[in-house]
Amino acid sequence: MSTDTIEILRRADKPIHPAPESFIKKYIFSVDHKVVGIQYFIVSGLMILLSGLFAEAIRVQLTGPHNTFLTPQQFDEAFTFHGTLMVWFGAIPLVTGAFGNFVMPLQIGARDVAFPWLNMFSFWTFPPAVLILLSSLAFGAPNAGWTEYPPVSLQAGVGIVFWTTAVFTVGIGATLTALNFLTTVIKMRAPGMTFTRMPLFVWASAVTAVLSLVATTALASALGSLFLSHVFNVPFYDPTRGGTVVLFQHMFWFYSHPAVYILIIPVFGIVSEIIPTFARKPIFGYKLIAYSTVSIALLSFMVWAHHMFTSGLGPWVTMPFMILSMLIAVPTGIKIFSWTATLFGSNLRLTTAMLFVLGFLSTFTIGGITGVMLASVPVDWHEHATYFLVAHIHYVLFGGTLMGVLGGIYYWWPKVTGRLMSEKLGKWHFWLTFIFFNATFLPMHFVGLLGMPRRVAYYDPAFHGLNLFISISAFLLAGAFLLLFANAFWSLKKGPAAGPNPWGARTLEWMISSPPPHYNFKEIPEVYATPYGYGEPLPYSAPYDQVSTTPTY
Amino acid sequence: MAHQVNNIDFRRHLDRSFWSVTLVLAVISVILVVLIAIWPINGTLAVAATSDYGIDALFKFMLFVATPIFVFVNGYVVYFARRYKHRSDEPADAVGIPLYGVVPLEIWWTVIPVFLMVVLGVWSAVTLFSLYKPQAGALNVEAIGHQWKFELRYPGLKSSFYGDFYLPVNRPVTMNITSADVIHSFWVPQFRVKLDMVPGMVQQLHFTPTEVGSYPLICTEFCGIGHGDMRTTVHVVSQADYAKWFSGTQQKVAQAAAAAGSLNLTAGDAAKGQAVFEQKCSVCHSMAAFAQKKVGPGLQNILSDPAHPKLVDGSAATPESVAHIIQNGYSGDIGVMPNAQANGLSSSDVSNLVAYLKSQSK
Repeated sequence: MSTDTIEILRRADKPIHPAPESFIKKYIFSVDHKVVGIQYFIVSGLMILLSGLFAEAIRVQLTGPHNTFLTPQQFDEAFTFHGTLMVWFGAIPLVTGAFGNFVMPLQIGARDVAFPWLNMFSFWTFPPAVLILLSSLAFGAPNAGWTEYPPVSLQAGVGIVFWTTAVFTVGIGATLTALNFLTTVIKMRAPGMTFTRMPLFVWASAVTAVLSLVATTALASALGSLFLSHVFNVPFYDPTRGGTVVLFQHMFWFYSHPAVYILIIPVFGIVSEIIPTFARKPIFGYKLIAYSTVSIALLSFMVWAHHMFTSGLGPWVTMPFMILSMLIAVPTGIKIFSWTATLFGSNLRLTTAMLFVLGFLSTFTIGGITGVMLASVPVDWHEHATYFLVAHIHYVLFGGTLMGVLGGIYYWWPKVTGRLMSEKLGKWHFWLTFIFFNATFLPMHFVGLLGMPRRVAYYDPAFHGLNLFISISAFLLAGAFLLLFANAFWSLKKGPAAGPNPWGARTLEWMISSPPPHYNFKEIPEVYATPYGYGEPLPYSAPYDQVSTTPTY
Repeated sequence: MAHQVNNIDFRRHLDRSFWSVTLVLAVISVILVVLIAIWPINGTLAVAATSDYGIDALFKFMLFVATPIFVFVNGYVVYFARRYKHRSDEPADAVGIPLYGVVPLEIWWTVIPVFLMVVLGVWSAVTLFSLYKPQAGALNVEAIGHQWKFELRYPGLKSSFYGDFYLPVNRPVTMNITSADVIHSFWVPQFRVKLDMVPGMVQQLHFTPTEVGSYPLICTEFCGIGHGDMRTTVHVVSQADYAKWFSGTQQKVAQAAAAAGSLNLTAGDAAKGQAVFEQKCSVCHSMAAFAQKKVGPGLQNILSDPAHPKLVDGSAATPESVAHIIQNGYSGDIGVMPNAQANGLSSSDVSNLVAYLKSQSK
């Protein structure tokens, strides 16, 4: 689609694509970004559940130091599937494919993404990838962890071929989505929406798209080399034939470090939307939050070797990576401080979504602090590849990403479904999640520091008590999620109608009905300011300036 | 955006209540920092080597910095959530103060973390380089990771052994670590050192054990189904006990070698040796001039060519030294060769191979 066409479609009072009539066009092969977003939400949600079940299997095994619930082989497959499903099939598609697709075009006042058909295609690379990955369970599953370091990953059977193919396939979809989002944000913003008037979730989506677009190619090389090594016996990773095993780690982390930010930056966006809505005041330091997102993204390409401080790179290589990694704490800290400062002088509505975001502030701060500890090479030498690292990544990805995503689910659910969830049930869900999350992952720091390595099916009986405590907490944490499902089903069946703007928010998605109509905006709005000016008139052209911003939930 | 920050409104909230909470949070932070300062990490996890090099002090410094950040973020979140919670007597559309930012504050919370990170970075870098400093008179030990055990080689022992090993207290040690198959890792929590054992690469760890005791050596890099059980014990003992252990091990190793069939280099059969060469060695070595490298060097004339470089272990090529390399393997700058055990070579295979190499050296 040429630029001209995009301009015409953006301005003309006609749809970017006609409303579908058949069931298949409407719900299966839909080109509507909202439907694609919901499809991503359902599939990645199922993957997170499946991944969670693998995690619970791991925790059952670890209730005893020499448990026989799983064989070591099964245990290795369980943590491999837990990580793989969670990263590539759960969290990344959820924060980009689901939230990005549904929310971002609405927030910029567009009728769809720039390339709707490509968007549908991106989604449809996802279910086949899931099938490829899961079918490996029948042929000898991959079992060297989600990182699949050679040579050990090459010792496994054909499972590694399924694994590389599946992740590669899902990477195609991620790359195309990134291309699509980036074009959309650059070309399809409503008139008057300059970059510094964009909602912060849009900033986050655009920056994430850049990360995906650049980094995924490195992942493709890593996967390709692993595939060739296994299938054609190419000696990339065989030192007896001139290979270098550490090369894989460079390629893998050149992708996977930015991938950590692909996982968290959209959540920074979600948090930056929820906080001003429920604090009823402008976000503190809009520009600094936006620019810190950009600087985190830039830095994220220069720190990959901090995953390899014990791999033998030597002090002159690790030192700059160490210092750059520590510097990421600065823009991240700016965000945390700005969000906290937004609460100052607020008129705070402690809804479920807001509670999850406050929980996020607490747990993500811990994840950030342990991240700095791991960035210091000498300290990392002690902590690397232990349960301390497991605790850190879960404070970042569960206490950060998932906590923020849960806030996002409670926040946008009324917009997507047109119905409210139960706040009472939601608050129970929050408190149980928050308590058992900390009970599960906080003790992991200690077992790690005291000497328990990760990825072990058996461990020193000295750690039995703490592991049992962690496992029981993990089961209860999983139980807390039942409340979310109950809440969702209750809301779909009996939830009260939400109305267009139940929270009284000011971004554009709340200026239209819930769920939004097929074309989103009957007329493309004009934008005069950032959306966060609570207490001021809405900065949009008529009729969007007439929407009520009084909370009605 | 010409948003006017309403300064009067914003200052109004910096009242007695705000400053008392700030004071309480500061006091809590100070108490926690003092508790961390007097907390002996050594009592929680013993330090048994100098390789600590101040790692624990660095860890404490990071806790010092992190504690106030954690306390203030959480404290303010809870305080603001309680103080500014929407009250039912307020109108539904009540809003907070129109505060878009306070530039000096934003500069402070950018500059101070930059400063702290630079301090931490410099301190970490200094510590980092000290970790790589070899010490004079160090005992050189080699540790080789296998699925799923640790192989140890000591200078003065004719062959290697697996499992428990001993180090003398207060003598610097240089651990040369590598792997025979996949990536493993060498971690002794009480020594605070960890490096990966990477196939095709030799890494060095420098430390001096300082406390007599037995400590776990744990593999922390996932290495296959036996990973969870891949651990052994390192015993730090007095010089006298170390000498006793060493001579005992010397005898044990010699007995084991005798039991495995002693090497009789004069009894080798060149024809049988050729068969073994073609089956096992020719993957990496050609029977051609030294420079005809496949993975390893070409081996023709290895015993007779005066221009042939010295063997990789520094010795001149003799039947004995060649046999030594075949038996023990090699890992160094020109590549990696597995040992006889890993290659599945018996003692008679080795003597046959040497006989064959002799026959090819004209």
